[in-house]
Amino acid sequence: MNTILTNLRYAFRVLRKSPGFTLVAAVTLALGIASTTAIFSMVDQVLLHSLPYPHSDRIVYVSQTDRPTGEGDATSPANYLDWLAQNRVFSQMAASRGWQGNLGGERPERIRITMASASFFPLFGVRTLLGRSLLPEDESPGHDHVAVISYALWKRRFNADRALLNQDITLNNEKYTIIGVMPPNFAPDNHGELWVPSPWSVPAHPLVPSQDPRQFRSRNYLDVWARLKPGVTLQQARSEMDAIARRLEKQYPDDNRDVAIGVTGMQDSLVSDVRPVLYVLLGAVVFVLLIGCANVANLLLARGKGRSREVSIRAALGASRAGLIWQLLTESVLLALLGGLLGILLAAWGVPVLLTLAPAEIRELGAVGVNTEILVLGLLLSLATGILFGLAPAFHLANENLQESLKEGERGSTGHGGRTRSILVVAEVGLSLILLIGAGLTIKSFVRVLRVDPGFDPTHLLVFSVGLPSSATPAQQDNFYRQVTESFQELPGVQLAGAVSRLPLSGGNSSRSFKVPGNDRGYSADIRVSTPEYFRTMGIPIIRGRFLTAHDIEGSTPVVVVNEALAEGAFPGQDPIGKFLLDFGPGSEKLQIVGVIGNVRHVGLEIAPHYEAYLPFGQAHWPSVFMAVRTRTTDPLALVPAVQNAVWSVDKSVPLSDVRTMHDVVARSLRQRKFTMTLLGIFAGLAVALAAVGLYGVMSYSVVQRTHEIGIRMALGAQQHDVLKMVVQRGMSLAGVGVILGVAASFGLTRLISHLLFGVSPSDPVTFLAVAVLLMSVALFANYIPARRATQVDPMVALRCE
Amino acid sequence: MIQLKNLERSYKTAAGQFFVLRRINLDIRQGEFITVMGPSGAGKSSLLNVLALLDDGWQGEYWFRDQAVHDMRRKQRGELAKRNVGMVFQSYHLLDDLTVRENIDLPLSYKDIPHKQRQGMVADTLDRFQIVAKKDLFPSQLSGGQQQLVGVARAVIHKPALLLADEPTGNLHSSQAKEIMELFRDLNQQGTTIVQVTHSDSNAAYGSRTIQLRDGWMVSDTANPELQPYEAIKQ
Ligand SMILES: Nc1ncnc2c1ncn2[C@@H]1O[C@H](COP(=O)(O)OP(=O)(O)O)[C@@H](O)[C@H]1O
Ligand SMILES: [Mg+2]
Repeated sequence: MNTILTNLRYAFRVLRKSPGFTLVAAVTLALGIASTTAIFSMVDQVLLHSLPYPHSDRIVYVSQTDRPTGEGDATSPANYLDWLAQNRVFSQMAASRGWQGNLGGERPERIRITMASASFFPLFGVRTLLGRSLLPEDESPGHDHVAVISYALWKRRFNADRALLNQDITLNNEKYTIIGVMPPNFAPDNHGELWVPSPWSVPAHPLVPSQDPRQFRSRNYLDVWARLKPGVTLQQARSEMDAIARRLEKQYPDDNRDVAIGVTGMQDSLVSDVRPVLYVLLGAVVFVLLIGCANVANLLLARGKGRSREVSIRAALGASRAGLIWQLLTESVLLALLGGLLGILLAAWGVPVLLTLAPAEIRELGAVGVNTEILVLGLLLSLATGILFGLAPAFHLANENLQESLKEGERGSTGHGGRTRSILVVAEVGLSLILLIGAGLTIKSFVRVLRVDPGFDPTHLLVFSVGLPSSATPAQQDNFYRQVTESFQELPGVQLAGAVSRLPLSGGNSSRSFKVPGNDRGYSADIRVSTPEYFRTMGIPIIRGRFLTAHDIEGSTPVVVVNEALAEGAFPGQDPIGKFLLDFGPGSEKLQIVGVIGNVRHVGLEIAPHYEAYLPFGQAHWPSVFMAVRTRTTDPLALVPAVQNAVWSVDKSVPLSDVRTMHDVVARSLRQRKFTMTLLGIFAGLAVALAAVGLYGVMSYSVVQRTHEIGIRMALGAQQHDVLKMVVQRGMSLAGVGVILGVAASFGLTRLISHLLFGVSPSDPVTFLAVAVLLMSVALFANYIPARRATQVDPMVALRCE
Repeated sequence: MIQLKNLERSYKTAAGQFFVLRRINLDIRQGEFITVMGPSGAGKSSLLNVLALLDDGWQGEYWFRDQAVHDMRRKQRGELAKRNVGMVFQSYHLLDDLTVRENIDLPLSYKDIPHKQRQGMVADTLDRFQIVAKKDLFPSQLSGGQQQLVGVARAVIHKPALLLADEPTGNLHSSQAKEIMELFRDLNQQGTTIVQVTHSDSNAAYGSRTIQLRDGWMVSDTANPELQPYEAIKQ
């Protein structure tokens, strides 16, 4: 204990004596620790923390899955009920489905509603903050107009009024009684702000809310959750559900062909999108930290030379090897803690900034920045770092001095320490090259994605979501969209307006199965219901035939407009105009193709267009739409009040939601990619800067060490440019070795980020080359300064000091 | 070959300007073997540095074979030096990381000499100085005398017209010193102009002319008996 204190006191004094060194080392470490802490706080809070539900590791997400592709789908009510009845692995199962609805009042508001089975709340095991949650009694018709609201909605909309319980609200023009308020952070389905019961103990279908859904086997719209029975493993649950899936497939071959059942841990299912991104970023920051460590180790090694005298005197006075190493380690650990504190401060400030860039999932899953846990972790990390970078220099110094004791200072220009330093710098350059290549590839991917033609023209477009209550009849809906569209067209500044059931790049999708004549094969297409003006509003081109028109109404021939992908895929080499889509959807409709339009990137810019079928509102029904307004202004948001008033002029109770420009919609769809790119870019930049500092440090030090040698060479005829060349060559050969090793490693490592790339190969030669050249230029610059200094060596002075 | 006219060298110190060479007028003829003597701090090394074209901080005139060194830039001076000057140092100044062969090759590496020819020159020199057997050894594996032998070999490998030696035998035994001095005499007889600094009269005896320096002043020159006595100039 006493020695530790003595060591600490001495270490403090040493650090204080050379503030420049201490500052540079601490800042270097701070950058590494800040990066690591920042990303680790996200990893911890998003990936490692259990969800805020008791025994959340026992909760699983169960879904219909396409057996050949493994792609998950929603679940149909009939299948859900069969799973419920047949399984012996789950203690509870619950189903829910999300939708949007209008919350009435002075300021009508469009909110996200989840219809949930009564088992939903018990399954997640969270008690209400106020009142009660849904009970089986609530599911009987006539008693089902009750609602549980989220904490956020309670605060935002009702001022956290405790007297709210048992009061009535208007939801989709119907009266509901508020029976409970959930605590904050209750968001199992990542959607609902308000939960309502399911009238038939299974959530009703949003398009046909008044029908008993229990027999639906071809309509997939449910999210299904389950809790594993005690003692049952995920593996057991999977094999049991697989047996059930095969049984149901035999029993209902029409609807369940190739339908497997996916069972995923709830946490897994929520974070599956961001997990790979966070792991890649974590890898990146570990690199940054390692580079920082290498730098500080180098600084310590350099400084060690200046301290060998002190150390050898201590050794001569009887200090043991272990004692010396301890003392030197105390110093590096103290230094690391200093850097760690600085780094944690930096992270505490930086993480909230980073989170504003982060994709929604990361924030929704509870990333909040640096908390106590992370603070402790950061300090532990610093401790480990201190030992890591302190070990080599300490051993070095202790060994060297015990062996050579008080012998005269070493003569060689590249002693043992020189080699260690060179290896460290090579490693730094290599690591930073790997990061730079990673960043380069993601940047190139981003550029590629930006260049993708979305299939529509996002400029000047204002979009929002709007809808009549789902109880409105199809005719009322159609009429409403028509009237609203017309009232928009009278607004100055508006060119065109249209409505569509699903807007591109806005999340959400719906598909229908169909067949074509003369072919038994089943196809599936994404379904859109749209107004005739929608296509022109969005700038989606017609390729053949015609757009939908106002004459496509109930009673006339059911028509459909398909996209090019569908036309080419289902009617290869044929003119699809006039041809039919058969057995379309659960209603087995027969639709005549009247037009072919261009492909639109719906799911994501980087995802190839699916088959799409557009039906007219006159003949199909969709209770909630996105409206697109093509304006004449560069700031479409300026039109929001006018647009809102136009909607209210048609129906005073209808609110708008998700009001945005289409540019914003596109930007949001790129958010995760941009986040990854930005962070990798920042970390690569840091890495390169640190590596450059490292290279600069090593070369400067070596120039100082070689002053004498350089003086001799000058006396023997070396001109300034010879000296410059010599130093630069040596530095560049270090950098070159680093680059070569880095490139070799990158060939292996970039494969790990191939899933983040788009339109660029993980071993893209252009990126590799550009990055290598960039890094070599940085290295050249870092070398040039010490090399310049070497040319300033005065041979007379150098030769004099004998 | 070399004329110094009114050459002066001074350093700025905290106490003011401090002269280390004062009004040096010196005429060095081709083939001379000059010995520079004087007490420590007299300016001998400073003079050699000026002659070696390592120093740029002097005033006055410096003519090298009718070229005005005082009008030259560093680069030109460097070029001139590397073609014409060889240097031998008291503490040898061999590079520890290079072998004997590589040390000897060093001056050639700064000239545009084809690789083949360079190899030939190194081989010849090793031969001439009878150190072929030592060519792959490092300096630390040689005795002081052997190291200085390498130092001289290195200084003359490119056949400089002027050889400058600053106390070349200062660290050697008298027998080793004798060997080096005889080497100098041979080189001088083959035409190399030599300027050496030494404290030893026996070394000076190898030379053809002796110059004395005191406090930066040239106080005597065997080639110029009329040189004013030091005390007289000092007034
Ligand atoms: N860089 C310098 N700055 C200041 N004074 C110097 C410098 N170099 C040499 N001197 C001074 O110049 C004088 C002559 O030095 P030097 O030529 O080495 O003498 P010598 O070789 O005759 O012993 C000495 O007094 C020395 O202190
Ligand atoms: Mg001297």
